Amino acid sequence: MSKYMSMDTLKFLLNEVHNMEELFEYERFQEFDKEAVDILLDSAKDMADKKFYPFVRDMDEQPAVFKDGRIIAHESLEDMIKGYADLGLIGGVFDFEHGGMQMPGTVLSACNHIFESANNHSLGYMGLTTGSANLIATFANQALKDTYVPKMISGEWTGTMCLTEPQAGSSLSDVVTSATPTDEEGVYEIKGQKIFISGGDHQFTDNIIHLVLARIDGAPAGTKGISLFVVPNNMPQADGSFVDNDVQVAGEFQKLGQKGYATAHMVFGENGGCKGHLVGEANNGLRYMFKMMNEARIEVGITATSIATAAYYASLQYANERPQGRRIESTGKKNSNAEQTLIINHADVRRMLLLQKAVVEASMSIIIESSMQADKHMATAHDPEQSAKHHMLLEFLTPITKTYPSEMGQVSISNGLQILGGYGFCTDFVLQQYYRDIRICSIYEGTTGIQSIDLLGRKVTMKNGKALQLLMAEVQETVQAAMTYDELKPYANKLMDKLGLTQKVLGKLMGFAMEGNYERYLMDATAFMQFASTIVIGWQWLKMAVAAKQALVSGKMTYSEEFYESKVHTMKFYFKYEMPKTTGLAEILMDDEVLTIKEEKQLAF
Amino acid sequence: MKLLVCVSKTPDTTAKISFNADHTEFNEAGITFIMNPYDEWYALVRAMELKEATGGTVTLINVGPASNDAVIRKGLAIGADDAVRIDCNPTSSLYVAKQIAEYAKEQNYDMVFCGKETIDYNGSEVGGMVADMLAMPFISYASEMEMNGNTATIKRDIEGGKETIEVDTPFVLSAAKGLAEQRIPNMRGIMQARRKPINVVSPVDFEDVSSVVSYELPPAKAACKMVDPENMEELVRLLHEEAKII
Ligand SMILES: Cc1cc2nc3c(=O)[nH]c(=O)nc-3n(C[C@H](O)[C@H](O)[C@H](O)COP(=O)(O)OP(=O)(O)OC[C@H]3O[C@@H](n4cnc5c(N)ncnc54)[C@H](O)[C@@H]3O)c2cc1C
Repeated sequence: MSKYMSMDTLKFLLNEVHNMEELFEYERFQEFDKEAVDILLDSAKDMADKKFYPFVRDMDEQPAVFKDGRIIAHESLEDMIKGYADLGLIGGVFDFEHGGMQMPGTVLSACNHIFESANNHSLGYMGLTTGSANLIATFANQALKDTYVPKMISGEWTGTMCLTEPQAGSSLSDVVTSATPTDEEGVYEIKGQKIFISGGDHQFTDNIIHLVLARIDGAPAGTKGISLFVVPNNMPQADGSFVDNDVQVAGEFQKLGQKGYATAHMVFGENGGCKGHLVGEANNGLRYMFKMMNEARIEVGITATSIATAAYYASLQYANERPQGRRIESTGKKNSNAEQTLIINHADVRRMLLLQKAVVEASMSIIIESSMQADKHMATAHDPEQSAKHHMLLEFLTPITKTYPSEMGQVSISNGLQILGGYGFCTDFVLQQYYRDIRICSIYEGTTGIQSIDLLGRKVTMKNGKALQLLMAEVQETVQAAMTYDELKPYANKLMDKLGLTQKVLGKLMGFAMEGNYERYLMDATAFMQFASTIVIGWQWLKMAVAAKQALVSGKMTYSEEFYESKVHTMKFYFKYEMPKTTGLAEILMDDEVLTIKEEKQLAF
Repeated sequence: MKLLVCVSKTPDTTAKISFNADHTEFNEAGITFIMNPYDEWYALVRAMELKEATGGTVTLINVGPASNDAVIRKGLAIGADDAVRIDCNPTSSLYVAKQIAEYAKEQNYDMVFCGKETIDYNGSEVGGMVADMLAMPFISYASEMEMNGNTATIKRDIEGGKETIEVDTPFVLSAAKGLAEQRIPNMRGIMQARRKPINVVSPVDFEDVSSVVSYELPPAKAACKMVDPENMEELVRLLHEEAKII
């Protein structure tokens, strides 16, 4: 079997860069220790090797199909849902009282990275089940919890999130699916259509539970009038039987990638027979959804990182096996009589490999960083000040954690594909598939445009810039640690310069916000996202280099010397080849010219 | 039934193997260790199945230092009840067998399971030695096993076929592929394992009778060459002229 991810790098990030063990000191996570997590990660890898990875290409070549009103998913999916549920991962992070194990979300992120690297067409079915069951467990009444959560945790039923409608994608305030009260308290008649519903249908569970955003008759317009409902395909009855709930699948979207991961067009209540249970209070639906949003967005970051990771290892294997051309000798000539060299020995191929390594490893690092903040936020609930600090860092990092892996992952895979030359473009090799699969990551769960507006419009300004201040303090801590190693000093200084540059850029942009010219302030939000995430990822690389240096200098090495040296080397690569982009981006961001804002005068496109 | 399963740790199959300067010791730095797959997938799981069918206990035994606890913990996560670790740095199969036998002789086990070999040293020695020291029958390379009361019917792999053997407890068995199916520990098992005891026992004195002179690695594999599937002639030429296998 080909290598599709690195357990060593994953464990290095968890244990040596991010000190995951810190989490086990909190009461919430005290049942866990490093040894238990190691075994769990190995279990995940074993299962991914056996049940997930062997089908990744097949799921692309034999996509989910719509037939006789149902979506038929790849036959291997059944075993994957069962295996993942049996491991205990669907409800692993839930509270004990909800049938969970209070596992840190960081550990789930790590496990999901393994599964997504093995097969990005299948994990969504389980990830959405976790997300929707978590919504029920957190916000619904006891009866709903008892009916749905155990069966979802065990994988007997799967779940979906139904937000998007034809006219309401990025803008959920325009949701029109309706909910009409019935005689039964808390039960509403649901009517409307949802599109692009991931995992909306498949043939492997008796029931699928949809978490649907809808508007109760007479509710206020906009986001304040949206409520959340549990809408099962088959409604459980008091006597243990089920009644068909008038949930229909109108079709399956045929897609560029992730073809095994069904995307359904759902129709609720076409025959007037669809019922939904209200979750929590009326008109609070979007607020509940948003509570889960950080996790869902980090999850997309994991998907993107993992696809790019699998692509990196596929291209690395090829580069190690393909002989082509000869190295340039010191005479400046090539000796055509010599054997061909492996392409991994050409500088340009090494550049493409290092770029991929730089992107995928730091992407995983920022995912763990964010996941740790989420865990600490939850574990310090008794200490409002600490909890708020972690929450603010999480809020700031989330759009970056979703967007950097999604956007740079595409660049990374493109470079991987390039390494295969003509074969990269051909279906004989998997690279073309990963290139297609990752494309969705910058679209669903909020497009890059929307994430960028969130970062600059909300997160930067939140609590008078407090989140940004907290982040800067974290970065400075890493810089200080790096300063203790001569080899790292130049890079630490460079990172400090970039913090200065960030302040300069924001100083300029803030002027527009203060004037109330928000459209101008947000005009180049996506460029700001690129700028900020390039710096944040540089911080992650410096953090990795510090951990690697610590191991090299102390001699306390869990992995080989080359392993640690390669981390320091890749950090240097990142600072030479990626970090300078921020200078150009700063120039764009501080340029006074306005070319993209719509004006009265028509612009011919 | 009282069952003992011998487990050892081996380098991960993807580990890069190297030796110290005079090639007398295997270099452990930077190596990830796993439980020997024959111990884990077949010996331990078959013992678990027997326990589940007829009741009893499954105890793991390992001869090695504290750093082996992680591997032992995995066995507990798969379902063993408890574990014993003989605290030492073993120097040979004989040394290991001696320690296991010394511990086991007081305990009246109905069966002692081990893997058919470890995937690093490939000795296939410990089981037979333990059996001899305990004066029990030894059935090696078992790939199927049924119990009827105290009698086991065991199929073992032999060159080109299978041999069926009947044996009464107590006995020692070495497990081969087919004896059981790998079980992947789940989170509940892993959390329960944290509460199961690993009893650490001092080794008995034993003077080893052999020592390692040197280790060497197999020659490196040649690079892979891609041949266009349409170009059979080129493939034949390469197999003939370069690989020299046809
Ligand atoms: C494969 C797939 C799976 C999906 N799974 C689910 C699911 O499970 N559940 C679910 O509810 N939805 C799901 N979606 C829907 C997805 O979240 C939306 O497609 C996404 O939010 C974008 O909405 P839209 O397609 O309507 O695009 P639009 O909102 O129409 O956006 C079009 C373009 O305009 C830009 N844009 C829109 N508004 C603004 C603005 N205010 N400022 C600047 N730019 C703007 C966007 O960035 C984008 O580039 C899925 C989609 C796909 C393709």
